[in-house]
Amino acid sequence: CHYSRPSPSPSTLLLLLLPSTKPPLPERGLLLLMVLVFLEGSVLPLGAASSPDVTHQANSDNHIVKEAGHNFTKKPFPVLSLDYHHIQAPFEISLWVLLASLMKLGFHLIPRLSGIVPESCLLIVVGLLVGGLIKLAGEQVPPVLDSRLFFLCLLPPIILDAGYFLPIRPFMENLGTILMFAVVGTLWNAFFVGGLLYAVCQIQPGNPSILHQLELLPCLLFGSIISAVDPVAVLAVFEEIHINELLHILVFGESLLNDAVTVVLYHLFEEYAGVGSVTVMDVFLGIISFLVVAVGGVLVGAIYGILAAFTSRFTSHTRVIEPLFVFVYSYMAYLSAEMFHLSGIMSLIACGAVMRPYVEANISHKSHTTIKYFLKMWSSVSETLIFIFLGVATVEGPHNWNWTFVTVTVILCLVARVIGVVGLTYVINKFRIVKLTTKDQFIVAYGGLRGAIAFSLGFLLNKDHFPLRDMFLTAIITVIFFTVFVQGMTIKPLVELLAVKKKQEAKRSINEEIHTQFLDHLLTGIEDICGHYGHHHWKDKLNRFNKKYVKKCLIAGERSKEPQLIAFYHKMEMKQAIELVESGGGVKLPSAMPSAVSMQNIQPKKLPPAKPAERALSNLPKGREEEIRKILRSNLQRTRQRLRSYNRHTLLADPYEDGLGDLLIKKQKMIELERKIKDMNNYLTVPAAPPDSPTMCRARLASDPQAYSMKPEPDSVPTIQVDLASPQSPDSVNLMDEFRRAEQQHEEDQGLMMKPPSGESGPKKPGEEDGSREHKLMRCLSDPGPSADEDEDEPFLP
Amino acid sequence: MGSSNSSVNNIPNAQELMQETGFSAAHILRLHERFEFLDKHKCGQLRPQDFGAVQELALNPIGDSIISAFFSPGQETVDFASFVRILAHFRPTDRNQSRDGAQQEPANSSIRKLKFAFQMYDQDRDGKISRAELLQVLRAMLGIQVTEEQLQSIAERAIQEADLDRDDAISFDEFRKSLEKVDIDHKMSIRFLR
Repeated sequence: CHYSRPSPSPSTLLLLLLPSTKPPLPERGLLLLMVLVFLEGSVLPLGAASSPDVTHQANSDNHIVKEAGHNFTKKPFPVLSLDYHHIQAPFEISLWVLLASLMKLGFHLIPRLSGIVPESCLLIVVGLLVGGLIKLAGEQVPPVLDSRLFFLCLLPPIILDAGYFLPIRPFMENLGTILMFAVVGTLWNAFFVGGLLYAVCQIQPGNPSILHQLELLPCLLFGSIISAVDPVAVLAVFEEIHINELLHILVFGESLLNDAVTVVLYHLFEEYAGVGSVTVMDVFLGIISFLVVAVGGVLVGAIYGILAAFTSRFTSHTRVIEPLFVFVYSYMAYLSAEMFHLSGIMSLIACGAVMRPYVEANISHKSHTTIKYFLKMWSSVSETLIFIFLGVATVEGPHNWNWTFVTVTVILCLVARVIGVVGLTYVINKFRIVKLTTKDQFIVAYGGLRGAIAFSLGFLLNKDHFPLRDMFLTAIITVIFFTVFVQGMTIKPLVELLAVKKKQEAKRSINEEIHTQFLDHLLTGIEDICGHYGHHHWKDKLNRFNKKYVKKCLIAGERSKEPQLIAFYHKMEMKQAIELVESGGGVKLPSAMPSAVSMQNIQPKKLPPAKPAERALSNLPKGREEEIRKILRSNLQRTRQRLRSYNRHTLLADPYEDGLGDLLIKKQKMIELERKIKDMNNYLTVPAAPPDSPTMCRARLASDPQAYSMKPEPDSVPTIQVDLASPQSPDSVNLMDEFRRAEQQHEEDQGLMMKPPSGESGPKKPGEEDGSREHKLMRCLSDPGPSADEDEDEPFLP
Repeated sequence: MGSSNSSVNNIPNAQELMQETGFSAAHILRLHERFEFLDKHKCGQLRPQDFGAVQELALNPIGDSIISAFFSPGQETVDFASFVRILAHFRPTDRNQSRDGAQQEPANSSIRKLKFAFQMYDQDRDGKISRAELLQVLRAMLGIQVTEEQLQSIAERAIQEADLDRDDAISFDEFRKSLEKVDIDHKMSIRFLR
């Protein structure tokens, strides 16, 4: 059997790494990381070695020998045999995914590193390492960034995640600007880079360098490939810098919408590069094609979106497969668009954005959580894999380094971007109400990162038509590296330096909601008085259309008539109630607590936090709380009725969600129970730790025999963490931290922490305390945190 | 049609209005045309009924409030100058506006915009939005789909959230504070009035 053992180098290197003294925790993390890398690196050549191309001959020989041998001698029955081929492909895929995930884990064990270097850079480095290891082991690097794999498997999850959670309002408000940047900006970039490259190549002095071979059309093709801002890279970097919403949506929207331009230019130039010339007719057709690609893509996406929304209307009896509809319809939208060479990305975005408000009104709470988590998970893994593969593909080559070409490309890209942005902003500002400042322009220009899409497009090029494909690839990779490493690493300090406005984390208050709606109506009225059919007029018309016809079709039951303000209000009440429960109803505990001398001391502590929201909520009159509960109960009862139809063997109804109404009642009973309890020991049933940890809440209730009327699985109660992760409690991710913090604080607070149920600041609290950590966790560790809630609160169409 | 300037001069106090509100001559002209369109009886003043010519206002939940905002308290008619002054609130803010010291706050500044919105809530002009006034607005916006109980809850909650000095009403400062995250310059501007 031709399984080559990896050379001893990894293990010796490991030995060399082990220092004599015991390293502190972060260094240990780094060590672990290196170990993992080497381990993975050593197993992968194993896989590569046994790939059919390499070992086919050997294996067939073995096979023949085995067969021959079988006829003559009776071999002993193989008790244990190794058959790698059987599982090779899925095994290697899983290995790569595992590597990606472990890398992600590893990075966050090393806090300093992840603060300085964006994740994307680290992942590329890891990819380089792994690729290097594979090469060292002497094996052929698998062609991992195969274009089909990339476009069909790796890219869609990221785009769907972006599209589904796209903040519609800022997107629509800035649509004109975004389109200008995406269409005109990309065109400008493509022609500028392509044209000037051609010029430079022509005037390249001296020896008949290969550059002279380069014609105009391949240059323009190269220009169009390299000029597109990449959504994956932009997302990866911008996620970590928390810039204000406007800039984020501008750069990100641009990266999404320029796909249509890229697709058209790419196909146009690729088609005609063989022919060698482009006529005016072709240009005209190209423009038409662009419109078809863009509008067609959006239409396809919208159709699938509506289908998905319509389907979700009927899923009340099969809640389990609700998320599946969302995913499958979206993926089919992408594939359908790709089938017609329309813009798959735009189709996916349209599908996600269109279906979201209706689907969310129809599906259960848990399905919503599932969708959110799955999307974040897949997009996270995809992104990681893409960057690692970029690294591996860099090592593999094929490379053709040409100093002139590469340096000129890099410089031209930068210059083109800056000129493009400045020029366009000058024009755009004439039409904008809120103008873009120089700082904004700088960030937009600087945030134009290139990424894996450019590489994959380059990879797709046919070597026969484009003899200089290798040179192109090298240049593309260099530009990608430059933008991701240099721009990616420096953008964060630059943002700090320039004091660019950051993202505002706070939640929307009901006042904001009421007043914004009011202002919408006001502006619409004023526009009507002026006789001007403006922005607000059309928005209002669309809303009315939506309310009257579309919602009735696509949303099941009574929710179709629910005004947006009410929906928002209910959501807030839910959140507040959940927080009330989590705080153990602590605020309502009477001061006549038995033997709680410490309680008396602690009581005054709760008053200082002077946040008005907190105070407001902590001083809720009793009748008010009852009201909240009543509203909640009526809502939850409806929900519960729908949930009861679960099949017994599909999912256990989560006691937490179903029993929330009961929970509240039980809570009150418990409070009364506590009054009667004299013994401090029975505080097991009383919040013994900081009351804001959901696990604790669960554990408490689990220990109370009266808490449940239904019988949950004993081990599922404290450990279901995903279900708990309602959009309202970002704590779920920081559970372990909460736990630790809980233990630490236990001493100081002596059992019962009278922290007021900070309504508004509750979800913010973990955010404030380990702010940067929370933010970093946003995409990486799957819980989007409070900021995602803002997106949810803002509907597509009110 | 002749030069726009001469038509503008037909409008009384046009120059003064342009100076005060920052509208250009073309805008004043356009608004004047609109004013005349609404003013069916050609008396140079608008009455509340005249606003009925704008059909969309009937569909607007707060249409009545908007109409009454044009009329100063106690007055039954509005002339062109007041019409323009009210609409001046909705001009996009000029960031680089230079003001001489004596000039008062321009009509389209953020504060004035907010004040205008605030006055639409505060019908009795006592400087505070009381619970009843808030309820009225909510009732208008939410219509018949919502029960009285829910309206009360929402109003209660809104006041609790915004009311910092605990006087059970929302003053202008509290109103402003609750809207601090909203970009008023953007939200309350009509592009065509630039």
